[in-house]
Amino acid sequence: MVTPEPLCYHHLPVTVARKETPLGSAETELAFFDANAFIGRPVQGVARPAATADDLLAEMDRNGIDRALVWHIAQHDLAPVVGNRMLAEQIGPHDRLVGCWTILPSCLPEFPKPDDLVAQMKDARVRALRVFPEPHHYLLRREVLGPVLWTMVERRIPLILSNARGSGWPAIYDLLDDLPDLVCVTSDYGCWGADRWFRPLLDHYEHVYVDLADYLLDGGIEALVADYGPERLLYGSGFPVQYPGGMMMTIRHAEIDPADRQAIAAGNLDRVLGEVQL
Amino acid sequence: MIGSSPLAEAFWRDGRCADCPVYDMHGHMGVWHSIYFPRPEAVDMVRSMDSAGVKMLIFAHHASLFSPDVGHGPAIEAVRQFPDRLRAYLPVNGVYPEQIETDLALIDRHPDVFVGIKFLCDYHQVPMTDDRYRPAWELADERRLLVLAHTWEESKYDGPDVIRKIAERYANLSLLMGHSCHGAWDQAVQLTRDFGNLYLELTAVLDNRGVIEQFVEQAGADRMLFGTDLPWFDPHHGIGALLSADITDEDRHQILHRNAERLLANPV
Repeated sequence: MVTPEPLCYHHLPVTVARKETPLGSAETELAFFDANAFIGRPVQGVARPAATADDLLAEMDRNGIDRALVWHIAQHDLAPVVGNRMLAEQIGPHDRLVGCWTILPSCLPEFPKPDDLVAQMKDARVRALRVFPEPHHYLLRREVLGPVLWTMVERRIPLILSNARGSGWPAIYDLLDDLPDLVCVTSDYGCWGADRWFRPLLDHYEHVYVDLADYLLDGGIEALVADYGPERLLYGSGFPVQYPGGMMMTIRHAEIDPADRQAIAAGNLDRVLGEVQL
Repeated sequence: MIGSSPLAEAFWRDGRCADCPVYDMHGHMGVWHSIYFPRPEAVDMVRSMDSAGVKMLIFAHHASLFSPDVGHGPAIEAVRQFPDRLRAYLPVNGVYPEQIETDLALIDRHPDVFVGIKFLCDYHQVPMTDDRYRPAWELADERRLLVLAHTWEESKYDGPDVIRKIAERYANLSLLMGHSCHGAWDQAVQLTRDFGNLYLELTAVLDNRGVIEQFVEQAGADRMLFGTDLPWFDPHHGIGALLSADITDEDRHQILHRNAERLLANPV
């Protein structure tokens, strides 16, 4: 029996040369670019919501966070088109905030066609997209989202995939099998041990990134950096569900090269969003 | 940097703070089936503790909790390896009641190792109130031991209603509600108000923004204890969450060490 060649063979494996530097630098300054924060009041509540962009910015200032990739909970709870518009209005005056909209399937007239969507994103300072397949009643598949996904691949627009909000691992694996060049971020995967879920994706797809908001594992960042390099890891606060300072402190004292800390805290997300072509 | 308080500055700069030694009241140890741990063994864990200024960890070994065939030997060995840094809870499992008396005898046989008893009733699927656990509760109450119990939301094994029944029976032991009845925050607070020997243990609570402020305001910082499930969660993450919370450094001192120092001052 012949073992079939994997469809994504051209991405195997991802290896990154490691720098040899002393650990535990005394450097204390880190800039943070948050990959995972939302504004708005969730329908099912959260202890301390940030209703507006101003509320979010106040909390970012209190914690020492420079910038954030932000979405609006109404994109999930009410409707993507309404939530997307609300987000654009909120972040408009604030250069420190970059928007993340939510998409729907292209098969109905309720959502803009890909070219129109891209133009609207450019106008609204939106550089990433989210999906909530289960609550929004569709499948995370090429047949369903094809046109917008092909546009995302072509323009290197990241897709944020939230386990907690309806993007399950089997669907993510199937999607990347179809679209191995899609830039995507695994997110909200819970704090109870996710390495066996996401590491195979890091092995097989070079444009997969990990939002660290849920990655509380002791020694986990050090292990990931040793195995994959720092380039695939993104600081996420999980705000307002989580305290932003938890992952900030974890990154600050991770036993890795100080330059790698800075890459994880902000540089990687900056690069990923900088590569988006709108 | 997270905030501007003296503790925030010290922990941000150095990762630890000499004036604020950390007591982690809820740890584990060793490998476990569902999670890959980069640092599962005692020597790895002590290294993480050093990095975050954790002076003492009280743990229940995964082998003690999940394999009666392996038992408590690994926990005893680990504490003997790091006697100044580690103490253990003795887990009891109601599925094997014939084992409980034998296990409890280890507390007297190894007073340098065990400081209390651990209940993991959701996993063992025997309610805390089950008669099979009576010898453990009675010993803990008689000796005024620490008891760490996994407590979770509306669980029929270890949810708030079950805890209340235990608290009504045993007033002398110190019951640390592991995870603070995770999700049932209001009920956890109410339990501490109704019973002076109950405490809110914060493992897996610290990634729920707003709960720390609620606990400090409604239960008081003197009823809260730091925990991480180490090697599950990075101690720096928990400390960072406390620094991020809208509470005072005085509250943080209580949570990170003063309350634990008071509880641990009573020898077994």
